[in-house]
Amino acid sequence: MARTTPPATRTPPPSLDGAEVDPASFRDPAGFVFRRDGILYRQIQPPAAPDWAAFQSSGLYERLVADALLVEHADVSPSEAARPDAVAVIRPRVLELISYPYEWCFTQLQEAALLTLDLQARALDSGMRLRDASAYNVQFEAGRPIFIDSLSFEVAPETEPWPAYRQFCEHFLAPLALMAHRDARCGVMLRDFIDGVPLDLAAALLPWRTRLNVGMSAHVHLHARAQRRAAAGADPTKGAGRAPRISATGQRALLDSLRRTVAGLRVQPGGHWADYATTTSYSDAATASKGEIVRSMLVLARGRTVWDLGANTGMYSAIATQAGYRVVAFDQDASSVEAHWRHVRGVRNPAILPLVLDLTNPSPSLGWGLRERRSFLERGEPDALMALALIHHLAIGNNVPLDAIADLFARIAPRAIVEFVPKEDPMTQRLLAARPDIFANYTIDGFRDAFGPRFRTVRESSIANSPRTLFLLERR
Amino acid sequence: MPLLAYIDPGSGSMLVQVVLAGILAVPFFFRRTIGDGWRRMRGNGSNDTTRDEDTPAKP
Repeated sequence: MARTTPPATRTPPPSLDGAEVDPASFRDPAGFVFRRDGILYRQIQPPAAPDWAAFQSSGLYERLVADALLVEHADVSPSEAARPDAVAVIRPRVLELISYPYEWCFTQLQEAALLTLDLQARALDSGMRLRDASAYNVQFEAGRPIFIDSLSFEVAPETEPWPAYRQFCEHFLAPLALMAHRDARCGVMLRDFIDGVPLDLAAALLPWRTRLNVGMSAHVHLHARAQRRAAAGADPTKGAGRAPRISATGQRALLDSLRRTVAGLRVQPGGHWADYATTTSYSDAATASKGEIVRSMLVLARGRTVWDLGANTGMYSAIATQAGYRVVAFDQDASSVEAHWRHVRGVRNPAILPLVLDLTNPSPSLGWGLRERRSFLERGEPDALMALALIHHLAIGNNVPLDAIADLFARIAPRAIVEFVPKEDPMTQRLLAARPDIFANYTIDGFRDAFGPRFRTVRESSIANSPRTLFLLERR
Repeated sequence: MPLLAYIDPGSGSMLVQVVLAGILAVPFFFRRTIGDGWRRMRGNGSNDTTRDEDTPAKP
């Protein structure tokens, strides 16, 4: 996109001595992120020297880290720099998993937005501001959002309009408004619009009644109109030298209005999956038996991290945390993830991160050179995966052959806890009800044959009072 | 624009802030003054208007 392409003079020179620059870290001349020997560093470049010095001396860093709003870093010697002329080199604490805005449910995106506004307000208190308001600057850890770009703070007069206002509205407000006023599934639009949903598009898609809301009318509808008018009548010479000015109170009022607008948005709970856990076919005895087997298999797998695929609202994710695991709980249904996230926040379980992901079409590699945002399979490897009550949806609901499922699982994790749901199970029957049964190989023997070449079976246990079987598998 | 504004702020987005800041400042100013006065009368000295119950919880 033209508006984010840095000038050619800022094309970085080749990196030195084994340092690998992060492919997402090219836009900002203030610095960049790189790895060397598996360690993550951030290099601060000369254009950012005054801002970095001000950030260091303002005490803002210490306050934000103390409140767990900003990821902490260690100062390292400038000799660690990947390229010459570094102002400073830092080693940020590494998070376990990087997730992207198109994988967040509504409330997660809303919390990330409120964190961004909170940081902007606190930066203003220290005579600084956020240079950008990218949703990719926020991550989720221990059940809360945390800001990861310590180089986002710059010194600025409070009377200058916020240059990141547009980015905030496109990365946060527009998708949140669409999720709240149209459909929670609109969050996946961020996968196509990786620099935020254009405001004219959001304005066109939002219901007319959103014009009656002061915040929506100002920050989306009027804002989109102003952009359109500016683009139509753009005269680059007109207004040159007349920098727009606002009052300090106006600056705070805008921020306060953004806060109220974002915080006022709500999604409608619901969706068919969120009710699924309570409408499943199996008895209490079968549920208890399944829980016990899953727990023992997790213990036997002896890992620390597990990805729960098709986690729904997280019944078995919770069991995994009781077995000492940290869990990333994926589900394709935004409403289930929303319900799961609210539950995780309610019980304050920091070991679970629910994310939206459709396993039949997982997050791809995106952005510049297809390397800017990493695909689902390039985000590190958990010690194990769980696929409970999932196989029948993939094999019968989506026609994926069992050996293709085994292939994908083997690419995800070295150990897998997989539940086989046979054809006689009522939930599989429901999937087969309206279509001919073309799945001759969908049997427990077919399952063993398909997974055999990829996995060794460590344990196989039948669930009591149920036709289902659980497998603990280990990659060959 | 400062040297380091590496994202395009958008001229329309900058101008709309001037308009909105002018409009929103008035109710904001009164809410803050009245709110502060009210809190002071009730003996609660906080003048923090940038946060409310919707802010993500601090640990």
